[in-house]
Amino acid sequence: MADDVVVCRGVTRTYQDDAVPVLALQGVDFTVTKGEFVSLAGPSGSGKSTLLNVIGGLDRPDAGGIHVDGVHLNELSESELSDLRLSKMGFVFQAYNLIPVLSASENVEFILQLQGLPAAERAERAQAALDALGVGELAHRRPGELSGGQQQRVAVARAIVTEPVLLLADEPSANLDSNTTEELLALLRSLNETRGVTILAATHDPMVMSFAKRRVQLRDGMIAEDSARVAVA
Amino acid sequence: MPLKLLTQLSCRNLFRHKRRNLMLLSAIVVAVAGVVVLNSLLRGFQYDMQEAAVSNLTGHAKVLAPGYLDDPSIEKSFQLAKDWRPDVADDQLEGWAARIRIPAVIMSERETRGVQFVGVDPQRESISFLGSVAHRGEALQSAADRRVVIGESLAEQLDTDVGRRLVLITQGADGLNREAGFRIAGVYDADGENLEKIFVFTGIERLQALVDAEVVTEVSVKLVGNGAGESSIKDSLAAFFDDLDVLDWQELEPQAAAMFLFADAAMFIWFLIMMGALIFGLVNTLITAVMERIKELGMLRAVGMRPGAVVMQVVMESTLIMAVGVVLGILVGWLFILWLGEGIDLSRWAEGVEMAGMRSLLVPRLFMNDLVLVAGLSLFFGFVASLYPAWRAVKIKPLDALRR
Ligand SMILES: Nc1ncnc2c1ncn2[C@@H]1O[C@H](COP(=O)(O)OP(=O)(O)O)[C@@H](O)[C@H]1O
Ligand SMILES: [Mg+2]
Repeated sequence: MADDVVVCRGVTRTYQDDAVPVLALQGVDFTVTKGEFVSLAGPSGSGKSTLLNVIGGLDRPDAGGIHVDGVHLNELSESELSDLRLSKMGFVFQAYNLIPVLSASENVEFILQLQGLPAAERAERAQAALDALGVGELAHRRPGELSGGQQQRVAVARAIVTEPVLLLADEPSANLDSNTTEELLALLRSLNETRGVTILAATHDPMVMSFAKRRVQLRDGMIAEDSARVAVA
Repeated sequence: MPLKLLTQLSCRNLFRHKRRNLMLLSAIVVAVAGVVVLNSLLRGFQYDMQEAAVSNLTGHAKVLAPGYLDDPSIEKSFQLAKDWRPDVADDQLEGWAARIRIPAVIMSERETRGVQFVGVDPQRESISFLGSVAHRGEALQSAADRRVVIGESLAEQLDTDVGRRLVLITQGADGLNREAGFRIAGVYDADGENLEKIFVFTGIERLQALVDAEVVTEVSVKLVGNGAGESSIKDSLAAFFDDLDVLDWQELEPQAAAMFLFADAAMFIWFLIMMGALIFGLVNTLITAVMERIKELGMLRAVGMRPGAVVMQVVMESTLIMAVGVVLGILVGWLFILWLGEGIDLSRWAEGVEMAGMRSLLVPRLFMNDLVLVAGLSLFFGFVASLYPAWRAVKIKPLDALRR
């Protein structure tokens, strides 16, 4: 369907851990439609990160197909995957992964620089993204001069500044206290509601799940429960 | 490729580890300055060698009768038209001289020695050492001067001096010996004892009269500078004197020519040694810099930076620090050379030095071409040194990096 942002069909990923195969994903069928806010829950080791990574083109499945915004990932080269991530996806990592030698605004701006946008437009959009996340006044500080919550906001600003089709977040609350987590989630929800950003967040934090409109439960590399479906076969 | 971003990242990352990169930078500066200084000293040495060889009555090219080198006698001579002059543009020609140079026996009241008796036109000898050496007494005044000048060492050996008389015996054009007396006009002090012992000069017309023939045994041509365009003058001389031999200074002074090449090789080897040590440090520092940024580089790849841009970032970092180091290194080397100024006095080792045909003052010579070459090659090596670290950087899988 045209509105499907993510389509996974029979996605399988096996890791070779000390010659013992680990079935991280075992034939996942999964679809995310435009404008959804999905939480991907499940115990540690259930395959949440692996699923996010194959959807994000950071990892390749052993079997099965993945389409993101209509593009079949299996057929893309490394460089093409890079370009796709740059143009269509936003990432929020567990560790904020800001570049220490760049200021907050530069940390947001460089993505637009990679996209080749002109300087004036870059500066304007970066500032707007930081403002939207409530850290506009901290634009000139470097990550070392920001608190954990502030850094995560800058990281979210970096993820949304390109207006991605899909925002992928892996344990976005892992390093935040509950107040900051709540603020961040409120923010993600408003991005989802006001801008229609499609969000897929892997988490085992109940608070994150409570903010998502749709909850998907993974177990042993398989989808065990999906609130969008009445029943799972 | 987002070059501006990459430049920004490279610059700032260099500043992130000031101490480490400052140490690397000083190593580059010392190495480059060392190369520049030694280079200029070797060039000075080369220049002196060549200058000594060329002014040793050689010139950049010389016309001789066939067989003269094996048997330098008046029989191996040729005639030269009075109005002849070499076919070389004025701005390239430093000068030329025709001479008779034949073996002779020289006698004072006390001693006898074998020498090279050389008839010259003193006005033309600005191209040889004779034009620049200091004389006690007087230098020869003209081509018709009937007196002789001899070297200081020879004067000592013969136990004679300015104003005294000497007898010279040499073979005339008819094969019979000629003997004549000469008054010593002056005693010259050349840079090598060998020259002083070998060459006795008189006016060329006087020597032509002595051997009874209006001939010369050599025409020597000196070009401006260090003799660029030497092969074309050789060709044009060969075309004019088609029945004579034309030799360049390398052929006439093979030892000096070999030393010249040796100095070239020494410069190159010294450069490679310095660069080798430098590259080792550079590669190490770059690998450290890549390894401590694994997460950052992984993130950049994850959000969509292409592999090529990651390579470029490391290459730029290396090339940048190298470029700064090269500029500073050349500056330091240049200042050091300025400080050396008039040159290094080698007179302490003067004997060995004079034997090698050099002056006792080693003057450094800095050539633009050499600097450009040093700078270019250094940057190239900086680039080469970055390839392995860049490969390590691009091999980083974003996932592995982010999981840490
Ligand atoms: N690079 C890897 N090498 C080996 N095993 C891996 C690798 N990545 C993940 N796994 C394994 O795959 C399974 C799923 O991991 P993951 O997707 O990280 O789970 P989650 O994010 O739900 O905790 C786990 O058993 C984990 O040990
Ligand atoms: Mg995980």
